[in-house]
Amino acid sequence: MLLFGNVLMLSAANTGTWWALQPLKRPAIPQEASKFTGWASNPIDRFIAVKYLQHGFAPSLPAGRVSLIRRASYDLTGLPPSPREVDAFVNNDSPVAYANLIERLLGSPHYGERWARHWMDVVHYAETHGHDEDAIRENAWPYRDYLIESFNSDKPYAQFVREQVAGDVLFPDQPSSVRAIGMLATGPWDESSQMGISDGTIDKKIAQYLDRDDMIATVMSTFVSTTVHCARCHDHKFDPVSTEDYYSLQAVFSGVDKVDRPFDSNGQTAKLRRRLLEVKAQLDRGELPHPLPDYSLSAHREEQLRLGQGGWVVLYGAKVQSTDGVTFEAKPDGSFLAQGQAPERDTATFTAALPMDGVTAVQLDVLADESLPKDGPGRAPNGNLHLSEIVVKVSGRPVKISQAKADFNQASWVVENAIDGDPKTAWGIHPEESKPHRAMFVFNKPLTALKGETMEIELRQLHGGSHLIGRPRLSVTNVAKPALIEILPPAVGQALAIEPTKRTNEQIKVLALYFSREANAKEVAALGERPKVYAVASDFSALGNFKPAGKPRDVHVLQRGSVHSPGEKAVPGALGCVDALKSRFAITRSDGEGQRRAALANWLADERNVLTWRSIVNRVWHYHFGRGLVGTPNDFGRMGDRPSHPELLDWLAFEFRAGGGSLKWLHYTIMTSSVYQQNSAHNAEYTRRDSENRWLWRVNRTRLDAESYRDSLLQLAGNADLKMGGPSARHFNMSKGVHVTPNLDYDLFDPDSPANFRRSVYRFVFRTVPDPLMQLMDCPDASQHAPKRESSVTALQALAMLNNRFLVRQSERLAKRLRYESSSLSTQVRELFELAYHRDPEPEEGRLVLALAREHGLANACRVILNSSEFIFLN
Amino acid sequence: MDCGISRRQFLQAAGGGFGGLALGQILGTGSALGSTLNHVPKAKRVIQLFMNGGVSQMDTFDHKPELAALDGQKFDPGDGRLVESVTNSPGFKVLKSPFAFRRHGECGRWVSEVLPHMATVVDDLAFLMSMNSPTNVHGLGSYMQTTGFTLPGFPCMGAWISYALGRINQNLPEFIVLPDPKGLPYNNLGNFTSGFLPARHQGTVINASNSRPVRYLFPPDEAKHINAASEVASREVLGFLNRKHANQMPGDSRLEARIQSLEMAARMQLSVPDLFDMKGESQAVRKLYGMDEDNTKDFAKRCILGRRMLERGVRFVQIWSGAGGPSKNWDNHANIHTELPYMTGQVDKPITGLIKDLKARGMLEDTLVIWTTEFGRMPFSQGQAGRDHNGGTFVTWFAGGGVKGGTTYGQSDEWAWKSETGTTSHDMHSIILHLLGVDHEKLTVRHNGIDRRLTDVHGHIIRDILA
Repeated sequence: MLLFGNVLMLSAANTGTWWALQPLKRPAIPQEASKFTGWASNPIDRFIAVKYLQHGFAPSLPAGRVSLIRRASYDLTGLPPSPREVDAFVNNDSPVAYANLIERLLGSPHYGERWARHWMDVVHYAETHGHDEDAIRENAWPYRDYLIESFNSDKPYAQFVREQVAGDVLFPDQPSSVRAIGMLATGPWDESSQMGISDGTIDKKIAQYLDRDDMIATVMSTFVSTTVHCARCHDHKFDPVSTEDYYSLQAVFSGVDKVDRPFDSNGQTAKLRRRLLEVKAQLDRGELPHPLPDYSLSAHREEQLRLGQGGWVVLYGAKVQSTDGVTFEAKPDGSFLAQGQAPERDTATFTAALPMDGVTAVQLDVLADESLPKDGPGRAPNGNLHLSEIVVKVSGRPVKISQAKADFNQASWVVENAIDGDPKTAWGIHPEESKPHRAMFVFNKPLTALKGETMEIELRQLHGGSHLIGRPRLSVTNVAKPALIEILPPAVGQALAIEPTKRTNEQIKVLALYFSREANAKEVAALGERPKVYAVASDFSALGNFKPAGKPRDVHVLQRGSVHSPGEKAVPGALGCVDALKSRFAITRSDGEGQRRAALANWLADERNVLTWRSIVNRVWHYHFGRGLVGTPNDFGRMGDRPSHPELLDWLAFEFRAGGGSLKWLHYTIMTSSVYQQNSAHNAEYTRRDSENRWLWRVNRTRLDAESYRDSLLQLAGNADLKMGGPSARHFNMSKGVHVTPNLDYDLFDPDSPANFRRSVYRFVFRTVPDPLMQLMDCPDASQHAPKRESSVTALQALAMLNNRFLVRQSERLAKRLRYESSSLSTQVRELFELAYHRDPEPEEGRLVLALAREHGLANACRVILNSSEFIFLN
Repeated sequence: MDCGISRRQFLQAAGGGFGGLALGQILGTGSALGSTLNHVPKAKRVIQLFMNGGVSQMDTFDHKPELAALDGQKFDPGDGRLVESVTNSPGFKVLKSPFAFRRHGECGRWVSEVLPHMATVVDDLAFLMSMNSPTNVHGLGSYMQTTGFTLPGFPCMGAWISYALGRINQNLPEFIVLPDPKGLPYNNLGNFTSGFLPARHQGTVINASNSRPVRYLFPPDEAKHINAASEVASREVLGFLNRKHANQMPGDSRLEARIQSLEMAARMQLSVPDLFDMKGESQAVRKLYGMDEDNTKDFAKRCILGRRMLERGVRFVQIWSGAGGPSKNWDNHANIHTELPYMTGQVDKPITGLIKDLKARGMLEDTLVIWTTEFGRMPFSQGQAGRDHNGGTFVTWFAGGGVKGGTTYGQSDEWAWKSETGTTSHDMHSIILHLLGVDHEKLTVRHNGIDRRLTDVHGHIIRDILA
């Protein structure tokens, strides 16, 4: 039962190649049928007419002008036309008025917003992780802006595909295309497994495989309408996708994880940064820089360093006492290494004779050591430490510390906490564990005590959980303005201590590398802070147990999808069923993951990848007609629908590809067809024969989707803030939750907050606590790919539309606008009909609405109209 | 089943949003199974009590005297078997249960002293003594138990049941969730999602402690222009406009559905306040559930509300104990001795009261009660006295319609570390669907190329515990 996938499906001899995989040829445009003379002016209509004749249908009459402009405006911009625009269009007799309308709407920046939102459904975009620890992704939105810009600029589709899979690799000189690979990270991410669980454990491996599964499903469902994720456990039962194909795709993404990724805002900076990073990589490999650093400069730096180091004297031979039984081993470098089992808390007191007069500051090094958890420098399981307070006493009297500085501060665990007198706050170094750190504490005035007097330094570490310092070292200085000097690697310190002329070649190399690294880091820093996008990367700073892959991780073909039964190692590739293309990629670099993604991007965007071209034209058709020529836009396999008009699908795909992949061309071509311009009137006989309107004998009446409804209200009430782009608008109050996920309150959010006035595409989408109003209006669960939306009608939805605070407030604001524009109630009511329905009231309804407005206020009349079916449905 | 298939096609059409559908299918009064069930149901409705965080099995129902002998020794299952825990914190020493166990009822079920009330109804309970989960992570485990998948975005059991059976009342939602007032569980609303099923099947969250427990039921307080008279007048005009539009656009059943949905909304405005009006509950009932004791009153209130919902034809009620996060729930990492009784003390009496009350009212016969959690806990220590997550084995019990009280199925190993029989979430779901008259293998929806089921490709109905 599991094996028929590959063999059977690909032996085309008996059954013929599956429709979606057949070579893409340009079908001849059918002759115009005499029956529909004058109707089928556009090639699309010729294909449609053939099916009419075959199945015994005829087109509906053309839609009225008002219906047409409403339909086109919502389709392309998600916004209603203004009464003025409707008037101008209705009264324009020009034969090109409609074509001009479509062109105008395609030129609107709101077009990109509308179609980006569709795309966001397909790729399950949201701005939180989902799962149990549903944390916010502060930098998801640049991907959304990338989408809007790409649609608006009518980016060639092949490029749009390539950018979203490997923009960072393929277009390094357009750094903003890094935003595009946000697509790979749109899906959920399991923070508690990824950050909480150690590498190598079963639960962690499962989390990594499943995370890549989400990337694969997103890419393959979106671009090639193929349900490869079925092959995770066994060969696809219905489609020619083998388990090996699936794990080849896993291997493509095996070097990346979902994470915030910085990018440069222009190509020049990117180029410079790339060069500097190449130098850094070279230095990290221990290769001497070429040319060697300018000796005159480094000599100056050497002097600086020597002075700095020289200013501090380590308190060798101090006595140390612990309140909780910690014993220390004194090390030759003057540090003390903690031994034995770590207690929960401890205060360690160091006692030493002052090595100089007039001490001005004390310095604490917390050093790494391989005997400590994660190499320390702390003794907590993650290598962190918490210094609650440092107390310095001379001859038993406390010394006032006025300033604290550290080379690194954990977020909200800053070094100042160690001198604030509050034992509950402390200095910490997470996530910069596994390396040494240094803190300096400056006295408010130099000590009057002289050399030889006794100094006590207490390190209070009261946080618990063994957040203790594993290997402390203390030093003091009496320079007037002590500076925090970096901790030198031992080899550098040794080399520096030797006269320049007496250094060995090895020592010269050590210093050359050190100074070059320093210069390199300085140049990188000078390029400034970079914006970030939540995307994927192979290299980033570790967050707890979430560590960068660096290079591709090993991926195995898992038997029945179980990590307990790994089979052969998987090699990067895609699907074997697209005949014209190689299914396994030629990979020349074993260490870099970028080449793998680039190969997949090129495989997807290839002219010969017939799935890609059929997929996108069908998706666009789906959004124009409410149903694709293939009814399952994400599944062109045997479990999906067959195309209703295969020749039309192929004609569109062929012409779209031949024309360079212009989506605007596609919209224009579809929308100027006669089939698109029909009305949506009922036909009892046709409905009986074709209730799904598969043969397109009319246009489907659609309910406004959640975003269009919300945006229309803003537009009508005159509130819409049409600013584009930027961080998302949060329509909720947020407070700290019991754990990672914050508490969200949509109900108490101020309905007058400016955040509400942004278009809905800029709405912050919280995965596990979605907006209840939008959810009731069928916004999809953002944890799933949503190639189609529901259009439900429920009592809870009716209640939400009537009573949601924001919506009620919009009806009040609409009333205010109407009162502002006219002082007569009957004019206000007529204007209300004009705005919402684009027509005048008929006598009886006009009378009823006017009576309601008179007796209960105009806002109640507005609320009724905004809840009425005529406003909510498009003909 | 043919009617199931045709229903699916209808729903696919509904996804496109066309007219021409039968009204019942738009409003959800119809069901995926049409008028015929796969077989005669034993239960008509379900109330599920979900203990969020992972209830310790060996401190409640899974008595393991062997642990006492090994107490304090490093945990070693032998044969070089790998012992892992998710937090990987120090510990790993066998930790015996600090609670005394005694046999109860005619069936002689072992119950620990932390559940003195439940111990009195064990003859009504049927135990899955050893379920197991593929994960040791809360979020994934909760998804597994609520949706049958560890990944987010799949429809939960309540949504499947609503989808399969349709509504049996005209005034209230068919699937209601009562979360802990302290907060939502792990995965927040993800556990109640309709996933790729139509949105109307998602769980309606009712915040029992909130002054407005059902969102959007009434106009906002600040809207001073809306009052009883304006509501009546507005509804009339809205009805007129919608009727007129529907007449002008014949053949589109969604327009008729909107008219009816507004009428149902109006009925809901009457029925919800009635649901929350507890004045009719007798003193004896309040006492039975523990409504008057500080420790139990919250869970008691939600159990009584749950019963009132079932009485009014709500199909599926889910009550949660414990919010997400690291404490004040069943996730007893630090000290099992103090943390577990804190939780059992809140739910033991109310849940027992619910069973007794349903029985007294004759409702237990066709109501299915399920007590469960997302996974169990380790037989060895985390730190000094806590227990880490354990997907290896945990306990679930059933009571009521179609269930054979006093029975058990399955067992864990000698330490309650891993299951020996391996009952899965899919098995549990298949039993529940079976008792509701639904064949879990036939309840499918096609999504992205796969005919999805609540039970994926698994699920065995365990008849040992069925009447």
